Amino acid sequence: MMGQDILEHLKKTSIFSGLTDEALSDVARSASARKVAKGDILMKKGEVGDSLFLIQQGWVKIVTEDSKGDELIINKCGPGETIGEMALLDRSPRSATVIALEDAEVVELKQDVFEKVLNQRPDVSLSIIRSYSDRLRFSTTYIEKAIDWAQKIAEGDYSFIDQTQPVMSNAKSDDDKATQLLSAFFTMVRRVKEREEGLKQQLEKLTFEIDQARRKQEFEEITSTEFYSRLKEQAKALRQKRLNE
Amino acid sequence: MKGKIVSIHSFRGGTGKSNTTANLAAQVAMAGKRVGVVDTDIQSPGIHVLFGLDEDKMGKTLNDFLHDKATIREIGFPIGENASGAAGRAKLAGKNLWLFPSSIRGREISQILKEGIDFNRLNEGLQSTIKEFDLDYLFIDTHPGLNEETLLSIATSDILIIILRPDQQDLQGTSVTVDIARSLDVPNLILMVNKALPKYDFVELRKDIESKFNAPVAGILPLSFDLADNASNDLFSLSTPDHEWSRSLREVAQAVLTLG
Repeated sequence: MMGQDILEHLKKTSIFSGLTDEALSDVARSASARKVAKGDILMKKGEVGDSLFLIQQGWVKIVTEDSKGDELIINKCGPGETIGEMALLDRSPRSATVIALEDAEVVELKQDVFEKVLNQRPDVSLSIIRSYSDRLRFSTTYIEKAIDWAQKIAEGDYSFIDQTQPVMSNAKSDDDKATQLLSAFFTMVRRVKEREEGLKQQLEKLTFEIDQARRKQEFEEITSTEFYSRLKEQAKALRQKRLNE
Repeated sequence: MKGKIVSIHSFRGGTGKSNTTANLAAQVAMAGKRVGVVDTDIQSPGIHVLFGLDEDKMGKTLNDFLHDKATIREIGFPIGENASGAAGRAKLAGKNLWLFPSSIRGREISQILKEGIDFNRLNEGLQSTIKEFDLDYLFIDTHPGLNEETLLSIATSDILIIILRPDQQDLQGTSVTVDIARSLDVPNLILMVNKALPKYDFVELRKDIESKFNAPVAGILPLSFDLADNASNDLFSLSTPDHEWSRSLREVAQAVLTLG
């Protein structure tokens, strides 16, 4: 029962998505079940990661620290979710700390065990390379689009929201980070647009009234002088002269 | 007649007139035109600061010309050959732009104010400036209000740009200036609104002002802390071209170029 469970979960994990059931069984066999107590630290931010965890039962929190050093919960994960999958191949430092919120059961796939499978089965290696390549291509395409959209937003052009949305449904899996980013991006643009429209409506109208009697009086005060009459004559002559030149 | 005389006027002080004049002249020079800027604000000259000309570098002035002590040729200060000291001004290097400054010496200022300016002498000066420097545009920075010198420069203008802030007093005063300009047969009248609070609806404001004066509003420039922060140290539309103020100023410069 549990072996079948692991197989089903691994199938949904994006880097294994191209594997046959038979190859996946080999991977699943190299995994081991672990019990975790409430408060146990599954992985620590900054440490080099060397295993993937598949949550069977219970919930964990993914945390980091804010600028003051206080705990900041980024996310919570529960049964059927995978954490740390990239560590199987790249040995990168963990980007966050994972702590069990309650007594939990996880399946751990260690990198050294996993590498043995890769050595024995070139088909598994190739399939994983393909899945990485797919993800990379997918991400690159959307990064390029995001750059293009960001430029449009800067110019105040939001028309792409309506034109581009259908592309979103082509996303390959629910947990794809690119899809999450795009979804957040579109939400952001929609909110910015709404706020901007709200602000436009709030623009105040400014109107003036000119005191026509005062206008006439001041005009007459200036134009009734001898200086002005002479100036008007001189200006008229000047314009006539320039016209003829 | 080739060169156009463009007078920049405002009914009250503090509208940003000298700053606007300097930036407009710079933009028109950047468009490849031959441009002169005359400071006829002899009571309170100031435009030379924007072009980086200080008292030490200032030679003969408009006052000397009006007293027959200097020729036009002698008072023209070539900005394109002295474009340095600030990032915006540096862009004017090699451009055909001359400044004809007014004296900043107190004694010379009071002397000319006492004697008054002769229309024919000033007009002769402006005409020979255009001829001798082969100018496409001669910008005149005037003293605010409607005193005699200002009326003189309005009377000689081909294009009059009136700068106003969107407030009751400026609009009332502008209405009189518009009537004077029409009475003196100024061929082209352009309005420019400066220091408009961004919370106002600029589209509606433009419509309202245009219908009241029956004259085009070539640009509405926002009140800007960035511009105030520049504190006359540089030509803002050249140093900060992407700012909304600079964009709107270029629209006004374009309106001037279209009339040329």
